[in-house]
Amino acid sequence: MNVVDKKWIRFRIYLVEVLFLIGLGIIIFRAYQLQVIQREHLKSIARAGYLKTKIIPSKRGTIYDREGKELALSIEVTSVYAHPKYIKDKKEAAIKLAPILGRNRNQLMRILNKESSFIWLNRKISSDLGKQVKDLSLQGIVVVPELRSYYPARETGSHLIGFVGADNQGLEGLEKKYDHILKGSPYRLTFLRDACRRAFSVTQTLPFNNGVHDLVLTIDQDLQYNAQKALKKAVKRSRAVSGQCLVVNPANGEILAMAIVPEFDPNNFSRCKPSQWRNRAITDVYEPGSTMKAFLLAASLQEKVVSPLTLFDCEQGEFKIGNNIIHDTHEAGILNVADIIKTSSNIGAVKIGQELGYKKFYEYLKKFGFGEKTNIDLIGERNGFLRGIKSIKPIEEINMYFGQGMTITSLQLAMAMSVIANGGKLMKPYVVKKIIDENGKVEETKPRVIREVISRETALKVTHILEGVATEDGTGVQAAIMGFTVAGKTGTSQKVNPKTKRYSRRKHIATFVGFVPSDRPKMVIAVIIDEPRGIPFGGYVAGPVFKEVGQWALNHFRINPSTRFARNVARSGLDKQLNSPPPPPDPIRIKAGSLPSLKGLGMREVLNKGRALGIKVVLKGSGLAFRQEPAAGSALKGIRSLKVYFKSPT
Amino acid sequence: MIDRRLIQNFDWILLLALLVLMSISLMNLYSATYAIRDFGGSQVFVKQIYWFLIGFIVLLFMASFDYNILGRYAFPIYLISIGLLILVVFMGKESSGSRRWISLGPISLQPSELVKITIVLMLGKLLSDKGGDRPYRLRDLWLPFVLLGIPFILILKQPDLGTALLLIFISISMLMFVRIHWRSKIILMISGLSMIPFIWFGLKDYQKMRILSFLRPDVAPLGSGYHINQSKITIGSGLMWGKGFLKGTQTRLHFLPEQHTDFIFSVLAEEWGFASSLFLLLLYLFIILWGLTIAKNSKDRFGAILAVGIVSIFFWHVVINVGMVTGLLPVVGIPLLLFSYGGSSLVATMAAMGLLMNISMRRFMFQEMTVL
Repeated sequence: MNVVDKKWIRFRIYLVEVLFLIGLGIIIFRAYQLQVIQREHLKSIARAGYLKTKIIPSKRGTIYDREGKELALSIEVTSVYAHPKYIKDKKEAAIKLAPILGRNRNQLMRILNKESSFIWLNRKISSDLGKQVKDLSLQGIVVVPELRSYYPARETGSHLIGFVGADNQGLEGLEKKYDHILKGSPYRLTFLRDACRRAFSVTQTLPFNNGVHDLVLTIDQDLQYNAQKALKKAVKRSRAVSGQCLVVNPANGEILAMAIVPEFDPNNFSRCKPSQWRNRAITDVYEPGSTMKAFLLAASLQEKVVSPLTLFDCEQGEFKIGNNIIHDTHEAGILNVADIIKTSSNIGAVKIGQELGYKKFYEYLKKFGFGEKTNIDLIGERNGFLRGIKSIKPIEEINMYFGQGMTITSLQLAMAMSVIANGGKLMKPYVVKKIIDENGKVEETKPRVIREVISRETALKVTHILEGVATEDGTGVQAAIMGFTVAGKTGTSQKVNPKTKRYSRRKHIATFVGFVPSDRPKMVIAVIIDEPRGIPFGGYVAGPVFKEVGQWALNHFRINPSTRFARNVARSGLDKQLNSPPPPPDPIRIKAGSLPSLKGLGMREVLNKGRALGIKVVLKGSGLAFRQEPAAGSALKGIRSLKVYFKSPT
Repeated sequence: MIDRRLIQNFDWILLLALLVLMSISLMNLYSATYAIRDFGGSQVFVKQIYWFLIGFIVLLFMASFDYNILGRYAFPIYLISIGLLILVVFMGKESSGSRRWISLGPISLQPSELVKITIVLMLGKLLSDKGGDRPYRLRDLWLPFVLLGIPFILILKQPDLGTALLLIFISISMLMFVRIHWRSKIILMISGLSMIPFIWFGLKDYQKMRILSFLRPDVAPLGSGYHINQSKITIGSGLMWGKGFLKGTQTRLHFLPEQHTDFIFSVLAEEWGFASSLFLLLLYLFIILWGLTIAKNSKDRFGAILAVGIVSIFFWHVVINVGMVTGLLPVVGIPLLLFSYGGSSLVATMAAMGLLMNISMRRFMFQEMTVL
């Protein structure tokens, strides 16, 4: 081997050396690139592979009524899902699962045959059923624990409470409004997984009830139940479309009950129509009609444009203003302000209104809270509508005095009546009394006065006049409660036919709103019945609900009957008038097969008689019966309907 | 025969480098098999220690006699190794779809590991004997091609594409040490390139798939590209300083395939970070450069070419293996020498290292001769 040869070999070795250096340099650079330059990218990919986060919804907070009874709570249930790819014998699986899941075998088979890697079979079924499925130990069928909201009181308070969807999200009512604090932070479970996706280690734990709050409502579950029961009965009796009954504590604005018909069971909300879920007391607006006269009265007395004894000519039931004629349901001559309200004379109301002026009336309606949200802690509330001073036409002004041409919600009505009941203050209504956080810390809602609307004296005067409504010669006698004085106002408004844009003759809204006991108001009750069939009058349709709910609530809250009532009666000598039997009616000679005389009877008695005789009775006017068609003594045979005219006894 | 000078000239630095490499290897192998320690993993670790001990004995043995003696017996040795390869065809042990091993009781031998060295020895002998004065023409190259072609085809049929290709690369590296006529060179290159389509169609489907998934690994992350994606993730997630010993999640959770053999580098990279990748690769580079220095200083042509051949075995293994696990090259099953688990490979490599040391120890004789 010569030197040249050796040099040549050395040169070749250098060449190889350079090539090898380049080769290893590339490899080293590649490692640098992977581990230093792209590291975040690869790190995140790796984490996605071996870290699996499962979000387990936290337990939802419990909703209690004011007495601590559970209205909504989380319970543990199970859900079943399938990995169709891993099911060996789909037919066998379907046959075994069908009876447990209560499903059709073929339908189940179709689901399992899908080309999907994950399918929920049944969600939120009872733990017992879940265990049965688990015991089958079918490959590819997985049972997981879940939580679902359960409403033990079912329909009771359902419109208020709302409900929760399958993925733990509040969908309606308080469950939606307070979703963020009821559900708390989801429980984030992070697993380490191996390449076969088997979880083997939990890296993070959080307390299970992290951030979960409980709610205590102002609602009294028993009262709510009874309000719903009474309302349901009345809606059924009058074959109405829907109804609402609100019970409010006028002193602080607490909603004690908020009954809505039609009802739904939040445990099976999906089986009901969405229209049934609606909390109509805040979402639906309607023309209030005569109930507005109470606020017209309050405004007029406050502004001192009239006194309770100011007299107005009620024009014998027909009053022409411009080109329009206003009718009363019963004719009357000269009436004082108290009687106008008591008998709900439209003509009288218009005349009082003209004294007050629309501008003032509008201001007061605003002050009473109409035309704006009450800002109750519920969702979906509407404003209602008041026609402004500038945009109103004279005839619309006139109609406003008896509650036409404006819209309100039932809650607004109840809160406005609370102003009269509590001595002049508009309160902010609320349904959540307390919020309790996970550490037991209580945040209590404080009652809020929105504004002073009328003076205490005015409120008392209005109260006295409204007490007349629920008496024998008032329009709301059906609302009277034995042993207590009731102050209130009836309303029977016509609905506007959306097609003709005119007031419908057949469709009405019957209202009674009032409070009891009127000498120390404990509760305002507003009853609204939508489209009653047959007799549409507020007193007749809604009054009994007021009475039933009021009576039950007074008993439930242990409110003693009025002593003032008895004392005042004795002192003023009114006792003779009140205690003496009703003006002796003509003795009803009940000859077999002939129509008795109904003279001197109240509406309720007339109706009872009519029902006993199997005759449809049409009532005209208010007060006591003084005339009937056909006359007493007519042969019963062949009489289909009976018209009875009423007038006030004075 | 053992000269005192040989002891003096003993290559302690190479030995030290090998010892460092071995220590890292054992530590890393322990971690790689930790997750499967109850399923034979701990056995793997213990076995490797024995293999290292055997490897050392082989190394010392290979360093103990003049490599020229070995050169004299190059052809018989070559024939024996080919014989073993043929034996594999008839009585080889099949594992994971390929037939590479001969079962000898509890241990199994992989002749293709041995062939890498015998081909280096054979070619080294052949190329150094011809002399460097006259350039090779094609007709002079038939013998090397036949000698290379036989094991190449036998190994390709196992199938073991990686090792077969490795033989080619090693041979090409060694052919750099003969003058080849420029016309022959061009013909060789062209015919080499024109072979590519035939090689492609001769490949098995899974081999094609590996190459395709190398080109687009993201297309099938859980399919054929799975290995390489997981390996890249594993290496990348190690970052600069790694996750710590036994803390490699990818390794522990079985995301990484073949983690104690072909993908062993990823285990180290995940647990010790780029720092360790760099250290290991520099260590390999050092051994390679040291080997080339030995080649430069070798006393004769045979020693130089033999040393370059051994170094090129090392080089190609490192580049292909690390290139493969980092996604630079397609997946071919090639172990990382002295780092992956595997007895045959280890003992064969130690034998090669012994030869390298042998050349190193006898380098001065070469210098003396040239001075004279």
